[in-house]
Amino acid sequence: MSSDVLVSVRGLEVHFPVRGEGIRKKGAGVLRAVDGVDLDILRGETLGLVGESGCGKSTLGNAVLRLIPSTGGSVHFAGTDVTSVGGKGLRELRRRAGMVFQDPFASLDPRRTVAQTVSEPLEVHGLRSGRRERAARVGELLELVGLDPAVAGRYPHEFSGGQRQRVGIARALAGEPDFLVCDEAIASLDVSVQAQVLNLLRRLQKQLGLTLLFISHDLSAVRHISDRIAVMYLGRIVEIGPASAVGSDPQMPYTQALLSAVPLPHPALERERKRIVLRGDVPSPSAVPSGCRFRTRCPYVFEPCDDVDPALQPAGAAGQQAACHLHGVVGTPVERTPEGVTAEP
Amino acid sequence: MGARSGAPRGSEPASAVTAGTAPVLEVEDLRVRLRTPRGPADVVNGLSYTVGPGETVAVVGESGSGKSVSVLALLGLLPARVATVTGRAVLQGEDLLTMKPERLRQVRGPGAGMVFQDPMTSLNPVLTVGRQLVEGIRAHGDVSKEAARSRAADLLGEVGLPDPKGALDRYPHELSGGMRQRVVIAIALSNSPALLIADEATTALDVTVQAQIIDLIENLQADRGTGVIWITHDLGVVAGIADRVLVMYGGRCVEDGTVDDVLERPAHPYTRGLLGALPDLARPAVDGVVPDLATVPGTPPAPTDLPEGCVFWPRCPVRGDARCEHEQPPLVQIQGLDRHFGPSGLPHRAATWCTEPTSDTGLPASGTGSTALGGDR
Repeated sequence: MSSDVLVSVRGLEVHFPVRGEGIRKKGAGVLRAVDGVDLDILRGETLGLVGESGCGKSTLGNAVLRLIPSTGGSVHFAGTDVTSVGGKGLRELRRRAGMVFQDPFASLDPRRTVAQTVSEPLEVHGLRSGRRERAARVGELLELVGLDPAVAGRYPHEFSGGQRQRVGIARALAGEPDFLVCDEAIASLDVSVQAQVLNLLRRLQKQLGLTLLFISHDLSAVRHISDRIAVMYLGRIVEIGPASAVGSDPQMPYTQALLSAVPLPHPALERERKRIVLRGDVPSPSAVPSGCRFRTRCPYVFEPCDDVDPALQPAGAAGQQAACHLHGVVGTPVERTPEGVTAEP
Repeated sequence: MGARSGAPRGSEPASAVTAGTAPVLEVEDLRVRLRTPRGPADVVNGLSYTVGPGETVAVVGESGSGKSVSVLALLGLLPARVATVTGRAVLQGEDLLTMKPERLRQVRGPGAGMVFQDPMTSLNPVLTVGRQLVEGIRAHGDVSKEAARSRAADLLGEVGLPDPKGALDRYPHELSGGMRQRVVIAIALSNSPALLIADEATTALDVTVQAQIIDLIENLQADRGTGVIWITHDLGVVAGIADRVLVMYGGRCVEDGTVDDVLERPAHPYTRGLLGALPDLARPAVDGVVPDLATVPGTPPAPTDLPEGCVFWPRCPVRGDARCEHEQPPLVQIQGLDRHFGPSGLPHRAATWCTEPTSDTGLPASGTGSTALGGDR
């Protein structure tokens, strides 16, 4: 493992048991929320994780921080095995890796003041002894996220959504973490407030040298904030690479469709654009298709897709990787035309 | 899904725009005041617009701007105990606001259909899809149960549900979010309304499903000449579907015009702020660095406590006119600046004392602008 890698995920699986419907079927199903993810998050980078609802992106984020147990594979954080660590090691992990949640209304305790919420990690990790030191640190943290330290005595209901999200970020930063997972951290905010929080996260990332895993369904926001982008589909990462490459020259047909479906605020451009409209819905993660998991909706589907599950492999000139047979089973690209695709290079 | 899903979007020219035909809906000086525990809230303050046959008017704004309340008021869906609605809203020659409740009930189906944001809560979870469709069809026409059922199946096929006959007997929870929203659209269309109101109809959906639903509504609109009011906060969606755009802030329309004028040549500082705050895939990095987003400082005003003067002045980055804080700017045609005067020649209006040339980035140029407003309509 290179020293530049802060978080290393190998073959991670999070499977949930599913109860059968009715009384006849005995619970034999398995829901594969995360189904074999390999991922390296580099120190100091922002990795954007995009995908549609149900693709497993939040589950992956939770499993990386061990907020839910994984059922297979491994996660290493700065060399420690997250999936097996306990006691002091786990507490240290909790300090060094934080989480910013989606809903700033649900993730703050309504009966605790901002000061109580933000100082709890300080107490738990013994970072500041003495009430006065903690209060001073809370003030610093609030200032860091752009809030007036004078608001420390207020309760969450006295704040707007954007301000609450700032409080959530201050809490996540209290332990002086190296790594933050932001799970749909801007999804419930209005456009103008979203921009404020995105700018704040970018500034903090630079200022504090944080490593961010930014999980979102919003490709524009992910493209804006990330150094690299990983695209997830049905529990698997199907494309990963530099943000500019994934955002402008996607190599996996799913990413292409996803990107083409993102509405752009330019009327002339929108009229010109060809939109790739995918067939049908995402298959259920409890019945993942054989072979390539995108083949049931892929406009380029051809022979090997039915049986062979493609692994991530180099694709395109800009250094991204895609899990797609179009880039050849052994790395030779295949001529691409929708519908009738031939296997000859 | 379905045969039409492959059609490129926007292939129909946006030509049906009020071309000589009578508008489907004419709203004039619509005002809504709600009684709240914190005192009267002026949620909608003088909204006027028209929707022509086959035309799509997008109403854009952030939460609390009054965009949803303004359409709920049109259809009499606000509780009369707390809401006072004034103004005129003429749908196909009849004023919705003075209509008797029985007449309004009749009008809602064939006159105007509504698609709400959340298909999870706008469908009844304990009734089958078929029953909910049949109920709407039979409420507005003397149709036998069997005929209504077969019409319901046709509608489900039209909105692209696979196995429409089988879907009639399914419950909402058995369908995916996109499928549910298709059912809601089928219900809204079941009486071939002249006007379709979509209130954040695709907000809860994934982008690929959103693309399917937008395609669907555009195709149905082209087939039937339905006028559409599309309420959303997503300027990207607006760019793709709207003929005209109306930007709301603090219960007022602060800018309206053709979609090209408003999005490419925004005149109001708020519209510019919204566009600048949007992460934009089409404007990528400059020298490998993605510039910070422009932000609108502060938060929108509470409708119980609207500022005097221009509603936007407390947050306005270019305020500076003596009138900003005291006098409400009227919504007037933008004149005097060629760059603001759209090539379409269609009305482009803004309610601001401070308008100035738009820089190429769509952000306001620095400094306070001189007023470029003049004359009236």
